[in-house]
Amino acid sequence: MLRKPLYLLLTGLLVWSTAVDAKIDLVTLPARDKTQLTIYNSADLTLVREQRTLILKKGLNRLEFGWENTLIDPTSVQLYAPGNESKVRLLEVNFPANITGSAVWSIESEIDGPVAVEITFFTSGLNWRAFYMGTLSKDERHMHLDAYVTIQNHSGEDYENASTRVIVGTIHLLDEIMALAGRDSPYNRPGTPQYLPLTRSESDVRLDAYRALGVAEDMAKAAASMEVKSIIKEGLSEYFLYTIEGTENIPDGWGKRLPSFSVDKIPVQNLYRYEEERYGKSTQRLVIFRNDTVHQLGKEPLPDGDIKIFKHVSKDQQLAYIGHVPSKYIPVDQEVELDFGAARDVKIDPVLMSEKSENYRFNRHGDISGSDRIQQWEIKVENNRDLPIKIEVFRNFNTPYWKINNQEENKGKFEGVDIDTVKYTLDIAAYSNTTLAYDITYLEGERQNANH
Amino acid sequence: MKNIYIAILLISGLSLTNPATARTKLVALPERENTIIRLDHPDVTLIQEERTLSLHKGVNQIDFSWKGVHIDPDSLRLTILQHPDSTRLINVSYPPNEQALVWEIFSPDNQQEKIRISYLLSNIDRVITYEAKTNHQENKLDLSSYLVLRNFSGESFDSALFQLDYGNDFEKSILDGETRRMLFFETGNLKIRKIFIFNAGIHPWEPEKEKQTPGIPVSYELENMKNNQLGQHALWGGKARIYQNDAGTSTIFLGEDMAGFTPVGQKMTLHIGDSRDLSVTQHKVTEERSNIRRNRNDHIVLYDSNEEIRIEIENFKDAPATLKVIEPMQDEWDIKKSSHDFKLVNSKEIEFELNVPAKGKSTVTYSYVRKNIRS
Repeated sequence: MLRKPLYLLLTGLLVWSTAVDAKIDLVTLPARDKTQLTIYNSADLTLVREQRTLILKKGLNRLEFGWENTLIDPTSVQLYAPGNESKVRLLEVNFPANITGSAVWSIESEIDGPVAVEITFFTSGLNWRAFYMGTLSKDERHMHLDAYVTIQNHSGEDYENASTRVIVGTIHLLDEIMALAGRDSPYNRPGTPQYLPLTRSESDVRLDAYRALGVAEDMAKAAASMEVKSIIKEGLSEYFLYTIEGTENIPDGWGKRLPSFSVDKIPVQNLYRYEEERYGKSTQRLVIFRNDTVHQLGKEPLPDGDIKIFKHVSKDQQLAYIGHVPSKYIPVDQEVELDFGAARDVKIDPVLMSEKSENYRFNRHGDISGSDRIQQWEIKVENNRDLPIKIEVFRNFNTPYWKINNQEENKGKFEGVDIDTVKYTLDIAAYSNTTLAYDITYLEGERQNANH
Repeated sequence: MKNIYIAILLISGLSLTNPATARTKLVALPERENTIIRLDHPDVTLIQEERTLSLHKGVNQIDFSWKGVHIDPDSLRLTILQHPDSTRLINVSYPPNEQALVWEIFSPDNQQEKIRISYLLSNIDRVITYEAKTNHQENKLDLSSYLVLRNFSGESFDSALFQLDYGNDFEKSILDGETRRMLFFETGNLKIRKIFIFNAGIHPWEPEKEKQTPGIPVSYELENMKNNQLGQHALWGGKARIYQNDAGTSTIFLGEDMAGFTPVGQKMTLHIGDSRDLSVTQHKVTEERSNIRRNRNDHIVLYDSNEEIRIEIENFKDAPATLKVIEPMQDEWDIKKSSHDFKLVNSKEIEFELNVPAKGKSTVTYSYVRKNIRS
């Protein structure tokens, strides 16, 4: 059974501020004509826009708006009359004493009769997330990518025939909408802070809880609730708006999974990276592609979400599951770097072959004041895969005082990244080994100073 | 609910040293007449109410009590309005263990006297909120301001004149426990500037190494100036919620911020959210010591450090972006070379302002010397 705790009552010529009992004088109960949900994922926030038709009288109209048992932020509630903005105006909202979950609006109208109005407000308890399924070709040169959007409703409100939109972007909020919904006094009391700084962790915990619920419910309901609908995408300010075609019924407690896009044959690059300061001693496997038209993408940013990666292992479409990886938000034209974790079949092993010191400096007391420490390194690389691969080896020296001597064959593969980091980039054929060698001289003590 | 009472004691001339007598008989309960509630102070609210007393010839005792109402007793003032020369306040007493006081007023005759009582009342105030809508280009803004009256003072006011430090006075009733939100002013088509701010002292230098794509804060700047259809008065601080029209007939919510108090001529800055379509990567690419100074033991005691910073900005958006890059500076420093003009914010901070083209890149490099670093 659908619940409708949200209500609107038109009251007569009443003065709430002095007569609370007057609200029983009900005139009209306008139903929702249309509902639009705009759901954010960076915060527990949904902008609800309802279209209703009110029967107004010329002059001042009073209308009761109730939100008991919902997660609505009452301070966000606004009323507009599209096309009649100057003729119908919400002048005042009165939150009476000792009554929670309802307010009285004073609406000034120059129109006598039915008026289409839009009521907007924030609610919490609805959320969405993106997730992906990637399927690599057998040679791992291409990937098929399916993107989905999953919406969950835990708002306490049933939304029927709702036009549904989701927003990608990081919004700045002062308060948790859920906290605003639970206040005894919508604007708090004098002497209390107007807002409490958000605690990221609490927000994240709540979203995680919703998302955890979503995973279980998706699995149970995906088959029944999934409909093939297109999603219209639009960039606005720093956000991206996904509008789902048609309308949806999203009862409280239910979820919806909708396909966002499906792209075939995205050219991908297999990259292996070694950087001790970032990944430890393991070689990291990455799959790289760019969110651009060259890669059959580039129409929209890719929202952050988990990617489950599969691989075709036979001609009859047999699959192997590789794993799931988190993906960051990727703007249009930016490179996507999927981190598959430690690689087993590509090994990168830096080996210190020799170490010596020289160029000692002494102070006037005969104590050592500086020297050079010279190390010979060999980076041994094994590609045990049946594919050619690209490898990046980062070396961090943790000091700005160093000199490197690359062997001739390293030229063209070497670049300085910053003051204490260099990078080697290598292309390695399938089932092959190679060794990268360099000498590094660390300048210590007085040797770090010019002319010493 | 009325919890403030004023009463004239029956027997004039009683000595307050006898509290049992002094705290008994009430004769008249003069109603509030004109009541003014001043909300121009950010922290406290001043109430001024007028009442007409029926005074007897001689000394009258006026009992004023405020049980359960948050009045600052030291702020209570009584002003005699009609016959200030002949009717005089001669004594003020505080009864024990009561939220009350007794005024002794001398009256030359039996007469009606209008008085004004002023006091500071807590837990009644106003907050300001803003709702704004930007256009698609994000260079114009429609602004609505709301006044929210909150009364949890313990006292109800059936009808009072509310005064702010700007705008017209207005008459309202407000009960104890009640909150009222009123449209305060609306103005449209205000010029705004959208800016992105990267602060190298706060934001990660290598965004590609972060687990989540870091956002660059985005703000709107709004000038409280006459040439921007404002500038008539200061804008009070308050929560501002900002929306934007979408391609259809609807809107999206862009974000909210706490607007600061903005005097005329000043700029209001509203942080709406973070952009992940602008990437800023920063590296230190040079660090060399110079100008080394030693003590008699040949130990280095002082040196300079020559350093170079490279900042690479990539704009993935379809629109150009105005980016402020804030660079913290350490020690005694001197810029030697810079690819772009910069502004000195203070001794510890410089700021670049860049226009990054749509789908474009910009690179800023600057070199500086940090002087007289002690070993």
